[in-house]
Amino acid sequence: MQKKRVFPLGQGVLYLLPSLLLFGMFVFYPLLDSVKLSLSYVDLMGEAAGYAGWQYYREMLSSAQFWHSLGATLLFAVYTVFPGMFLSLVLACLANWKLRGIGIFRTLFAFPLSIAVAGASMIFMMLFNPSTGVLDYFLQLFPLPAVFWLSDPNWALFSIAIIAIWRSLGFNTIVLLSGLQSIPEPLYESAHVDGASPWRIFKDITLPMLSPTLFFVFIVSVINALQTFGEINILTQGGPVDATNVMVYAIYRDAFFNQNYSYASAESIVLFLLILGLTTLEFWAMERKVFYR
Amino acid sequence: MKKLWYRWTAVLLLGCLLAASVGCGGQKEAAGGDGKPVKIVFWYAVGGKVGDATKELVDEFNAQHPDIQVEAVFQGDYDTAVNKLKQAIPSKSTPNVMQVYDIGTRFMIDSKAVVPVQKWIDAEKFDVSKYEKNILAYYTVDDKLYSMPFNTSTPILYYNKTMFKEAGLDPENPPKTFDEVAADADKLTQRDASGKVTRPGMALAIYGWFFEQFLAEQNSFYADNGNGRDGMAQKAAFVSPQGERILDWWADMVKKGSTANMGRKTADTQKAFVAGQTAMTIDSTGVLGDVMDGVNGKFAVGTAYLPHPADAKDGGVIIGGASLWMLAGHSDAEEKASWEFIKFMTAAKQQAKWHIRTGYFPVTQEAYDDPSLKEYEAKYPQFKLAIEQLHNTPVNHSTQGALLGVFTQARQEIEGAIEQVLNGQADTHDALQKAADKIDSAIERYNQSVKK
Amino acid sequence: MKKFLQYSVLCFAAALILAPFIYAIIISLETVEETLTYPPVLWPSSFAAASYGKTLETAPLFSFIANSFVVSFLVMAGQLATCSLAAYAFVFLKFPGRKIWFMVFLSTMMIPWEATVIPNYFTVRSLGWLDTYQGLAVPFMASAFGTFLLRQHFRSLPQEIYEAARMDGCGRIRFFLTMVLPLSKPILMTLAVYAFLTTYNQYMWPLLITNTDNMRTVQIGLAMLQWDQGISWNTTMAGIVMVSLPTILLLLFGQKQLVRGLTSGSTKG
Repeated sequence: MQKKRVFPLGQGVLYLLPSLLLFGMFVFYPLLDSVKLSLSYVDLMGEAAGYAGWQYYREMLSSAQFWHSLGATLLFAVYTVFPGMFLSLVLACLANWKLRGIGIFRTLFAFPLSIAVAGASMIFMMLFNPSTGVLDYFLQLFPLPAVFWLSDPNWALFSIAIIAIWRSLGFNTIVLLSGLQSIPEPLYESAHVDGASPWRIFKDITLPMLSPTLFFVFIVSVINALQTFGEINILTQGGPVDATNVMVYAIYRDAFFNQNYSYASAESIVLFLLILGLTTLEFWAMERKVFYR
Repeated sequence: MKKLWYRWTAVLLLGCLLAASVGCGGQKEAAGGDGKPVKIVFWYAVGGKVGDATKELVDEFNAQHPDIQVEAVFQGDYDTAVNKLKQAIPSKSTPNVMQVYDIGTRFMIDSKAVVPVQKWIDAEKFDVSKYEKNILAYYTVDDKLYSMPFNTSTPILYYNKTMFKEAGLDPENPPKTFDEVAADADKLTQRDASGKVTRPGMALAIYGWFFEQFLAEQNSFYADNGNGRDGMAQKAAFVSPQGERILDWWADMVKKGSTANMGRKTADTQKAFVAGQTAMTIDSTGVLGDVMDGVNGKFAVGTAYLPHPADAKDGGVIIGGASLWMLAGHSDAEEKASWEFIKFMTAAKQQAKWHIRTGYFPVTQEAYDDPSLKEYEAKYPQFKLAIEQLHNTPVNHSTQGALLGVFTQARQEIEGAIEQVLNGQADTHDALQKAADKIDSAIERYNQSVKK
Repeated sequence: MKKFLQYSVLCFAAALILAPFIYAIIISLETVEETLTYPPVLWPSSFAAASYGKTLETAPLFSFIANSFVVSFLVMAGQLATCSLAAYAFVFLKFPGRKIWFMVFLSTMMIPWEATVIPNYFTVRSLGWLDTYQGLAVPFMASAFGTFLLRQHFRSLPQEIYEAARMDGCGRIRFFLTMVLPLSKPILMTLAVYAFLTTYNQYMWPLLITNTDNMRTVQIGLAMLQWDQGISWNTTMAGIVMVSLPTILLLLFGQKQLVRGLTSGSTKG
């Protein structure tokens, strides 16, 4: 019946081939290039000029700024991933109500997906404006003290997180919603017959059935959070006092402004390994608990 | 239905491949000679109304020069454009002419990919005596004018005359020195019953350019080796009493609440000023038009010289903005066409129009004879002061501005230092020293990479 | 009563999500002075649409939008093809090193783009793809994210389908085309919308590899509207609204498909 069994590896890889070719060309080849650069001296135009050994890695690991950036990056992930997932789960549950015209609300909830980083950042720049921004205006109506959203080092990272959460809300909600919708109706019906409380139904049916999707959203949110760049580039440029100088932004500055390509490459490699390690860990720790049918 | 979808995808992918094979051909054509217009490429890096005005000038040039065709290409902001140039140089796809910001000067020279405009000035015995000497001085290195100034601006103090009156200050006598600014800002600050500031007297953006200007006002250097003008800079030189005095003054006002720290964006302080949320701000002359349009008569806008410490001597402002560079590796015909283009863009008539449309200084004094400019000056008398400020600035190494290959980074480090001081996380000296250390090592690396 | 409560909650949530964009629309209709007043003007006095005209003068947005559509469409089609193939293999085919290959895929998401952008520029250049649609699209035609998304979905398809297919003697490709894909229409739609929108919203890459206005994409147009030193909020916001309009329409359309796809399907096959 299945004579192709003989070449299982070939079969599998054949399906992967289109993706692998593209990845090889546009992701792994550049990555190797970065590895090379991180071990070389470079000239003014950013081309390798002589072997430098591990110098840049040592320099990086002994720099306080690197550790600060790393901390800011992880903190940012904490700020965005959990609130973001929680909010989109709530929205997805709301959008899963069976009501007339619910489709409209689904579309509205997905809305932030259609706004580009640049656009979103500009809009929030206006909202966060320290003198005439509406957010502070409303705060003062209540009356709460005005906040310097982007120029107060204690607030800036959090403010950037607000934008990132808003932007990710749309997509996460759609994905979670489609997860919710693929939970078979009979499961709920039998639970209702048993007279289970809504919370029990959520905990015992919805969450386990949704776990593959939640797992996906979690992994992707973490990766995205660790690589958030656009908002920071437009709004704070890593400031104030390095509060928003997350690793990708530090890499960007070092590579494109500070003309320190080697150092930036070393940082990239380390960030890559960090995310890779973290994701592997998440897979190892969590995928066993994910319930696949 | 589904089948259709697959077919579509297949067709699309095929089409894409086809396009790929066709797209390779026909890139560059040999220019000139055969009656066809010489085609040159011009990269510019300004958006909004300034970008509009740039495009308009290019169109005018093309209309008046049937033998030359300039293609103007927007390349993102200044930083992005320079980064793009870095890719273009090794792959030999540089434009003919490019607009590069002031602080990119050292890098452009070191890239060895440029033709100094001096070459053409000498060849044609072109008369530059009518060009503003302060502006030419910035772009003159080793007695050669490397690039032609195009858009230039300086910082000035903007103040709200109506608020000055309300606070019992003389609206025709704006503060000149650091101390006067601090005193006036105090008087202009409004507080509620509990003492909380409701309207700061001044709003000052954390912008590294301002620090450079305040140093130049005190005739003090940013980098060693004569601000990098006598030879390649080796070290930052701003950890000085003059440098510290700037931050002390600034931090003191912020601590008192008379000056607001609104972050790094001048757009934010500008907005606060226009909205009547503060009485004074420092900003580029280039935004005067925006400010006047935004205020639109709600209050009287005053402008004044950039403040300086009372005992400062022989200082002044550094010009900022960008200039037009000619890139090497193009045919003689193209180079000649580029030079024609550059001359056109900086000539009196165009600069008058440019000034009116954008608020940048005319780079040539002849522009002031233009009737439309006279009209504009009558409408915005505030601008006169900015021109006076420029003319009253002596040309020396500090007002010429520093030449530094790592200027973008230096600016970022200074901004970080200012933030630390304003937030009380470091004292002035330590913050500046820390920034200087970082800049020093960046300079060392830069100089190393240039040598190779 | 319960329904009324539910609708209220939904409206509140929707309002919160839309608020930033609605505010952007309001600002785009205000005059320059109104945008610069305190307290902020929350309702424009005259609905001045002048800023929209001004925006179009500054950047040829329509042709940029057309370019973005072509590129986004190519990327979308490419990703649907490559991702569904790969995800299918990861779920339904047992081959050695499957987990490792999957990690290899995922790892492509974790490489900072700063590390890849310059080498990619040179690759695309040596292919002669500067200033072409393929240069804009091909590098993004594979996506680990999309593969992962589809994998998660395929894994939650009922196992019986696979067994039924095997019993039919259904070939792998046929099984993929006639069973798996039709059952996954909603998620494919989601991926399509996502791929389209993310490509539409790219800025750095198109700016780097295009040099002529007739190849430029829409986010570059947005950058052309901005002038750092003096932001005129109304024109900037008008630009954002205009640039976002096509994607909003697409979302409306895509979302409808998504919902429809869900109601038919699943149990049948």
